[in-house]
Amino acid sequence: MRNKINKKQILSLGDRYRIYVLFVLVFVVMTLFAPHFFNAWNLTSIMKTVAMNGTVAIGFTIILIVGQLDLSIGTIITFAAVIGLGLKDAVGYGVSVPLAIIAGGLIGLINGLLVAKVKINSFIVTLGMLTALQGAIYTITGGNTIAVTDDQAFAISDWLQHQIVPMLTPRVIIAIVLVVSFSIFLRRTRKGRNFFMVGGNSKTAWLAGVDSDKYTIVAFVISGVMAAIGGILFAMESAAATLNLGTNSLMYVLSATIIGGTSMAGGKGGVFRSFIAVLTLTTLYNGIVLLGLGNEVQIFISGIILASVILYEAFVEYRHDKVVGQRPELLKELNTIQ
Amino acid sequence: MKKSFSLLVVLVLALTFAGAVFANGGSESSTDAAGSGNLEASLALAGQVDALTAADGQPLIKVSGTGREVPARPADPEALPEDNPLHWWDMEFAGWNSTKKNIPDSPKDGAIGKKVIMIVHGDHPWTTACINGATKVADVYNMDFKALSPNWDLAVQNQMIDQAINERPDLLLLIPLDAKTAPQQARKINQAGVPLIMFNTLPEAEAMDYCIAWTGPDDFGQFRKLSHLWADKLGKEGGVAYIQHAPGGSPYFARYWGPRSELAEYAPGIKVLDAQAPGFEADKTQQLVSDWLTRFGDEIVGICAADDSAQGLGISEALKKAGREDIVVIAAGNSKQGMDLVKSGDIYAITYQTAEGDGALAVKTAADWFNGEELPPVRYLPQHMITIDDVEDFYPPQW
Repeated sequence: MRNKINKKQILSLGDRYRIYVLFVLVFVVMTLFAPHFFNAWNLTSIMKTVAMNGTVAIGFTIILIVGQLDLSIGTIITFAAVIGLGLKDAVGYGVSVPLAIIAGGLIGLINGLLVAKVKINSFIVTLGMLTALQGAIYTITGGNTIAVTDDQAFAISDWLQHQIVPMLTPRVIIAIVLVVSFSIFLRRTRKGRNFFMVGGNSKTAWLAGVDSDKYTIVAFVISGVMAAIGGILFAMESAAATLNLGTNSLMYVLSATIIGGTSMAGGKGGVFRSFIAVLTLTTLYNGIVLLGLGNEVQIFISGIILASVILYEAFVEYRHDKVVGQRPELLKELNTIQ
Repeated sequence: MKKSFSLLVVLVLALTFAGAVFANGGSESSTDAAGSGNLEASLALAGQVDALTAADGQPLIKVSGTGREVPARPADPEALPEDNPLHWWDMEFAGWNSTKKNIPDSPKDGAIGKKVIMIVHGDHPWTTACINGATKVADVYNMDFKALSPNWDLAVQNQMIDQAINERPDLLLLIPLDAKTAPQQARKINQAGVPLIMFNTLPEAEAMDYCIAWTGPDDFGQFRKLSHLWADKLGKEGGVAYIQHAPGGSPYFARYWGPRSELAEYAPGIKVLDAQAPGFEADKTQQLVSDWLTRFGDEIVGICAADDSAQGLGISEALKKAGREDIVVIAAGNSKQGMDLVKSGDIYAITYQTAEGDGALAVKTAADWFNGEELPPVRYLPQHMITIDDVEDFYPPQW
């Protein structure tokens, strides 16, 4: 009996901390087999790549926790980069960067208001926003990449790539600080836990006096701001904003967030786990390249991982439903209490 | 229990990363066969490289024999109107007057056994052919050659550049994803002390300062020449429309402003009706051309496309449906679809743009640098226009 409980506990822990297990597994395998993987330069390169999508994943995780979806994060990344770099010559980074972040927040606010107040499905709202922003980006830029090549821009770019402590550049540190802050906020504060309640059970949230609309709107604003921060910092480091800068981020962040254990049904997830999931995928892709395998292998393996996680989640859900079906008296009891 | 587990996880992560800090950096480049013997053997391989052929039977390496006539740079090219060819001087001749910075000296110890990493822009049949051509030359020199593709993603390309620097190759070959992102990428590679040759996509002029050389098609020159053929066929008058490349890259400017600015002088009677960038899907191009035919009717007599495959097919379908085979079409080539359309008479002329030769020329230039050869800042592929008269010479197609 004791053994059985321990086994269950271990399985439960394995499920809860699967992303950490996966990360350690990927890391160890790549260290053993991928040439040039385990050295400071390469690990710094991994961390730098994680910085943008890791930041964007914060907002996206909160969106999923409140039971919504934000398809516009990729275009917000690009939009913020275009605003931040495009206005640099006119007003300097001191003004253009805050403006880019505010623009991201405003876009999130519009998304949130349309979802929470006008009651339009978040898929439709953010898909519409994605298309509208793409048009805006092409109109503003005339279809051209925005680049900054003056000495000041290069100096800032160099500083953003400079390691303040080993393997941690300013962009990576900003991402980690944001991840830790939001993890604490969501887990340790009442307001933070309310996001889970809104996404997990809106009726309970209503009974508890939690304003679901407000939390939904705030979630979209956070998502917009995080996407903008990720985008503008990446563009400043690259000294350029291409028009498809954020195009691949949506699938990347979506995959990582789900692999990290955040439920698309809402009410469950964690910012730190999403960050570790982004780190895991980036480590995996990095190792695949070092192993001399092509892009097609990356796509194939990430597809396999994502499909496995979704299948596993479906299996857990099925098992849960089955348990409820096998013990109907418990359900009846629960209904009587309610 | 949960706290202990979390602590354990954090500890494992911290230890692994901390350990990495003390781990050695990237390995050194592989120049096992360095020395004068290697140089002599490397120089002796020149004939073998010259004898290589591409899939279409054409010589794999064909450096533009006559070079390019570079006019004097105007004081302020951008002040000139866009339809003045000299307005595009900085882009068209990027690299010709660059001030090289921190360029490493050639080791002059031969190309055999050198470690060369090639980073391309993304997956495409053209890219596959390009890598095939590069591999053919690399194989002759027995190079430790690797090609990486970031699949059109700038973040991934930047990461690949970091990874390539980490591997400390003897030389890095790069197709920048975007002309304007190239300066910072080239600067970073240069500062890391890795010799760099850029190819295919023309970068912004600043990027040229940080690379040994640039090799690739003379896109502007090709399209200026192609536009003459087109104008002559049109009798130097009538309305024309342009289907553009993806905005931002050098082909966008070379394949639109190249012919447009050229014809403003060579055939001022030709009027530009419209220019659009529908992307690289045949159905979208077909729709665009159908709309033009409705809108402009008999006024439109010519179409210039930035791509002879998907765009070429879209144009051909739209013209057939409207019964307007009289319209003279030119395009950048030379894909299988494009050459088939030239053969069938749907396209009047395309540029010869060897994909295999593009990759091969980059590797050959790297080999020349290892051999200590004095290199020009820019090395073009040869110019040639393919028409129905000689299209058969370019079969089977490279991609």
